[in-house]
Amino acid sequence: MDDASPPHASPRATLPSRPLSRRGIERLDLMLLCAEALDLNGGEAMVWLSEEMGCTDVLPNRVELWKRRCSNPLRRTTRRGQLQSAEADALIRILNALADHLYPMLRSLLSSAEPAEITAQRWQLFSSRLDELLRERFNLRRGAVQRLLDPQEGPALSRDLIQAMALSAGPGGFERLRASLLDAAS
Amino acid sequence: MKLSTRYEQTSCRLVLEGLPDLSAGHSADTLGIITGFTLALAGRTELEGKRDHLQALLNAVMPYARHLLSGQPRAFGAASDAVAVEPTAGGHQLELRSSQPDTPPLRLQLDDAELADLVRCLDQLRLDARVAVPFELPPPQPLRRRELRRRQPLAQRLSAPLAGVGALLISALLVSLLPPTPRAPLPGKTPAAAPAPLR
Repeated sequence: MDDASPPHASPRATLPSRPLSRRGIERLDLMLLCAEALDLNGGEAMVWLSEEMGCTDVLPNRVELWKRRCSNPLRRTTRRGQLQSAEADALIRILNALADHLYPMLRSLLSSAEPAEITAQRWQLFSSRLDELLRERFNLRRGAVQRLLDPQEGPALSRDLIQAMALSAGPGGFERLRASLLDAAS
Repeated sequence: MKLSTRYEQTSCRLVLEGLPDLSAGHSADTLGIITGFTLALAGRTELEGKRDHLQALLNAVMPYARHLLSGQPRAFGAASDAVAVEPTAGGHQLELRSSQPDTPPLRLQLDDAELADLVRCLDQLRLDARVAVPFELPPPQPLRRRELRRRQPLAQRLSAPLAGVGALLISALLVSLLPPTPRAPLPGKTPAAAPAPLR
């Protein structure tokens, strides 16, 4: 595989190369957390994908990968300093590949064609894992984290993240996701 | 030589048919001229169309997906366009308008999974190196501030500045209620402290 041209990546000369906003970093890390909630080996898969896609110059090992993810201000232990554009691109590329790998699971969560009971069980399993990871790693005093854990608001927010992952998968997903994470701060 | 490319994703199958554009210098296995396409969405009628319909489908669905990814769903496709898509209560409505007069538009309800399948198929098509048809589709761009208005409710957006202005007014009112404190005369201005003139 060519390091300079990862799979599904298309030319993005017109996309700005500014760093992600605070909201962009939060959303990117939350989607990576969702990938971990869907796949118990998601953390290992990120390291493997980083090596496979030639991102080792930016994310040389699992510690550096972890530190970049800790740029998320919602984390229990946050890292000061801004996430560089190349580092954010590497994380987005990893998420794009993870979403592609997890697409059948994402699809089954979003589909209305399957029996409602089975879909509800899948959501229950995903939500319990996501809650566990949030409580373990995130700052529970943050409003955004509390909303995700809230039984009323949480399911809609989780669904929004899963839908975003599904639209970020596959060819074209990288540039679409990157553009969305660079949205103007609201 | 007739060429055909197929893109499949669970509930969606898109088949493109065309010819190589040898006059443009394309190889014989590169599809350069689209003669037609068929789109099959699970459990629904198979749709057929020409190049213009495919372009209209891309023009409506790709920016719709881009906005949806930012949590800003909104309708795409004007009344004069062949394809329009808009959010509905249970998912997404794809409306296909026939160029034939007196033919009612075909409305298809897609759930989130079916929309994601369609988007993936269209992504595969537009990024396929075997297809050299220049689709006029701008690359996805970050949304501007005015396009993100609905992300936060108006009350939530105004709460911080209103609270600031309120706090300023209250503190100004409280300060104005304080009785004025008499100022002690400055030591340098008292007559006793004035230096005696030198003689």
